[in-house]
Amino acid sequence: MSKKLFLTSLALTLAACGGSNNSTTQTPNPVPSYTNVVNLGGDTTATDTSNSGHGFSTPAPNLTATELEQHLAGDANFEVAFTTAPNEQHPEFDGLGPVFNNADCNSCHQRDGRPSSVVVNRHGGPVKLSSEDAIFLRISIEEEGLNCTEQTPDNNYCAPIAVPTFNDQLFHRGVLTARHDWTENPSVGQADVYISYEYSNFTYPDGAVIELKKPVFDVRNPYDAPSETLASGAPTSRLFQDDVKFGARNGMPVFGLGLLEAISEADIVALADPQDTNNDGISGKANYVFDKIKANANDPYPVSIGRFGWKANTPTVRQQSLCALRGDMGITNPLFPNESIENTPLHDEYLARTGYVDTGIGPDGGPEANQAFSDDVTFYAETLAVPARRNVDDENVIAGAVLFEQVNCTGCHTPSFKTQTAMDIGGKPAIAALTAQTIYPFSDMLLHDMGEGLSDGRRDFLASGNEWKTRPLWGIGLTKTVNPGAGFLHDGRADTLEEAILWHGGEAVNARDEFAKLSKSDRDNLIAFLGSL
Amino acid sequence: MNKNVKLSALAAATTLALAACGGSSSSDTTPAPVEPTTFDFDATAMIENLNDGVIVAGYNDLSNKSLALYEATVALVNEPTAQSLVTAQQAWVDARKPWEQGESHIFGPVDQLSIDPHLDSWPLATSDLTRVLSDVSNIDAAFISQMNDNVQGYHTMEYLLFGDGVADNQKAIDELTAQERDYLMATAEIFKGYTGELASAWTQGVADDDGNLGTPYETTFKSANNDIYSSQLAVIEELVNGMIGIVDEVGNGKIADPFGGSLAQADTSLVESQYSWNSLTDFADNIKGVLNVYQGEFEGNADAQGIYDFVAAGDQALADRVLTEIETAITDIEAIAGDNNMPFRMAISDENARVRIQAAVDSLAVLQTSLEADVVALVGKWSGK
Repeated sequence: MSKKLFLTSLALTLAACGGSNNSTTQTPNPVPSYTNVVNLGGDTTATDTSNSGHGFSTPAPNLTATELEQHLAGDANFEVAFTTAPNEQHPEFDGLGPVFNNADCNSCHQRDGRPSSVVVNRHGGPVKLSSEDAIFLRISIEEEGLNCTEQTPDNNYCAPIAVPTFNDQLFHRGVLTARHDWTENPSVGQADVYISYEYSNFTYPDGAVIELKKPVFDVRNPYDAPSETLASGAPTSRLFQDDVKFGARNGMPVFGLGLLEAISEADIVALADPQDTNNDGISGKANYVFDKIKANANDPYPVSIGRFGWKANTPTVRQQSLCALRGDMGITNPLFPNESIENTPLHDEYLARTGYVDTGIGPDGGPEANQAFSDDVTFYAETLAVPARRNVDDENVIAGAVLFEQVNCTGCHTPSFKTQTAMDIGGKPAIAALTAQTIYPFSDMLLHDMGEGLSDGRRDFLASGNEWKTRPLWGIGLTKTVNPGAGFLHDGRADTLEEAILWHGGEAVNARDEFAKLSKSDRDNLIAFLGSL
Repeated sequence: MNKNVKLSALAAATTLALAACGGSSSSDTTPAPVEPTTFDFDATAMIENLNDGVIVAGYNDLSNKSLALYEATVALVNEPTAQSLVTAQQAWVDARKPWEQGESHIFGPVDQLSIDPHLDSWPLATSDLTRVLSDVSNIDAAFISQMNDNVQGYHTMEYLLFGDGVADNQKAIDELTAQERDYLMATAEIFKGYTGELASAWTQGVADDDGNLGTPYETTFKSANNDIYSSQLAVIEELVNGMIGIVDEVGNGKIADPFGGSLAQADTSLVESQYSWNSLTDFADNIKGVLNVYQGEFEGNADAQGIYDFVAAGDQALADRVLTEIETAITDIEAIAGDNNMPFRMAISDENARVRIQAAVDSLAVLQTSLEADVVALVGKWSGK
């Protein structure tokens, strides 16, 4: 896709919407088909909790009794705060790290939703990420401007290339003695990460000004050169070499994932238009990613469509969940049995110094999390209900639903899919409760260029730095009810939905501009519609 | 415990309800059918009272008790005597009560500020704790604040104050090392900071990037129709589900997990507050927290509006039945100790006490079912929703 297309296609976009770009609230007839929909997750929708902060945390109501039992077992697993090995009293919960980003699932997915964004006093210095922060940095090495388009075994199917001696994620926390210098740096991981914000203003055509902020990261104290910082001259740390790319990632909601997994690949691919052949300024392409389950089954081409993660870089809930268990928390498991930092000097030195008591092998000789734990926590994430909508009869909400289509948010935030009637996911039959459901995730599941403002400059399989997966919008109106400190977008930079909209660039710039041209009351109505989701 | 156990039986009840109706929400556009009978209730005064008289009052109490705990640890460092240890132990017990009672309303700033893991992480990383005590010479708040939550908070202080709890909960002053005293004081100092932050978030707001305080959460809570609570229904749903959540956690987690399916499966390692032997007080306080929200008042205070009044407006008999069920659950939990004041960690392995534990579990299950099936259904009939 080309940015040049955006400007020339503006008229086409508007024409295609069938709407006008004036700023009055005229409700076309008929209203979009999603306008009055309440049960966004079909029969999996939660209705009794959908007004409150419990809205993301309810099991799908159509599970069988046996399935509910497994869900609840997974729920308990999701809350487990892992501890340093060895823990003689609780060997089943030990094995944290030795370097990690957080100690339990819930800390990055608070109440199954978004985590709090880091508050940084702009008059003070950067803030060091600590136990209450969910954001972390992905890292990889990459030659500038070099794309990976042909996925082969030789290039790991375009997987990000791990930073030697660090791997592909920066673990900024550690167990007490993860570092050799632990008495000065207790509980520090591979390096410290500091966050601050850059501020800018967005000015609406009507003159209203909104301040936006963008996080800036400073990495200090890497284990291989503790005195250096990202800004050091002639650094020696591998982390600070020019070819290392950093990409921030925040936790995201974990409900409804099983439904997204049950959308047919054909339905997603049918929405893709990588060459923008319809000249609407929106291309959209599927990510194709390494599939660990296929690889374990000796599939000759272990690649599947990507569905989960900010760049759709994992294919299944199982891989997403267990990759996070091993990566974010350092808990090895049957799908990822080796520690992320295995064979790095930090790990080798840690094991030698601590007497090889925290090797990533659990009490029974297997990985730290066993099969049942892994199955249950995966099942949990697959079967959390989608909250029902609120205030669907509110006239402002209805007006906003119309505007949502009119400014072409729906160009990427595809309202609805029907899940498959039966399918095989990761070698297992799909959960019946999730099949044949008409769902309203408001996402096309595709990657889109979102512009330089949001870019992390880091490739992830077929996703470029600018490209991000369209976020599902179901439940988004409950975000702050679930966690008042939650932020939006991949690095939590947007404190409000309005700020998140204004960050849309690239393929979404037309829609963003059309939103900006609306009157204040129409903008409020569109946001009221989002609030009702 | 850092375990926000979700609404297990709510889901079970919902599943059963759907099965019983023989139907499902087959239409995507039609809300669930609503019973024709509705009831009126002006919830404004109730919400204001629950905010002022229960939630904020509880968090202020927690903050004050945390300050007293910190001061007791300072005294213990300055003058390590048998009496100052007993005083610090009691200060821990006193500070525990408002937190446990407050677990009936775990939402808002407590999540936003990661207060639960900061204060109540479990299990402890005992190997890390031991290592610091043996290898670090200058233990202070600056050092402890860099460490993970699993070597801070209530249970770390409990372990240091009471010992391992295996044979008794009577740690002697000569068993408390200087390192442990320093660790206690440092942890208590950080702890009081978190509890102060929590109370302030409700009454003063959380600081933004400019250092300005945002909207106090109590303002958001009391004036629904805002970005967080779309209506008073949302607030009531928050409160009712908060009650359900802790009843579920106590019955199906805190008690049931260590209790096990049989005496052979009893597991002491899973007992909450096992070092201080405060477990049964914890559990009873959890349900007293439910009572506080239900009645809108703390024990012995003047009558004020709570969820009871809301339920009574729709179904007086149900309101009274739930009140009795809450009180019965508390009584049954307290009765587990028996005539010889047996701590919970021993009770799970005692044949007779297990009968009493089962009675408490059963009472909690009855209460949970009433809340999930009947009170939740009643919320759906409120004309103000």
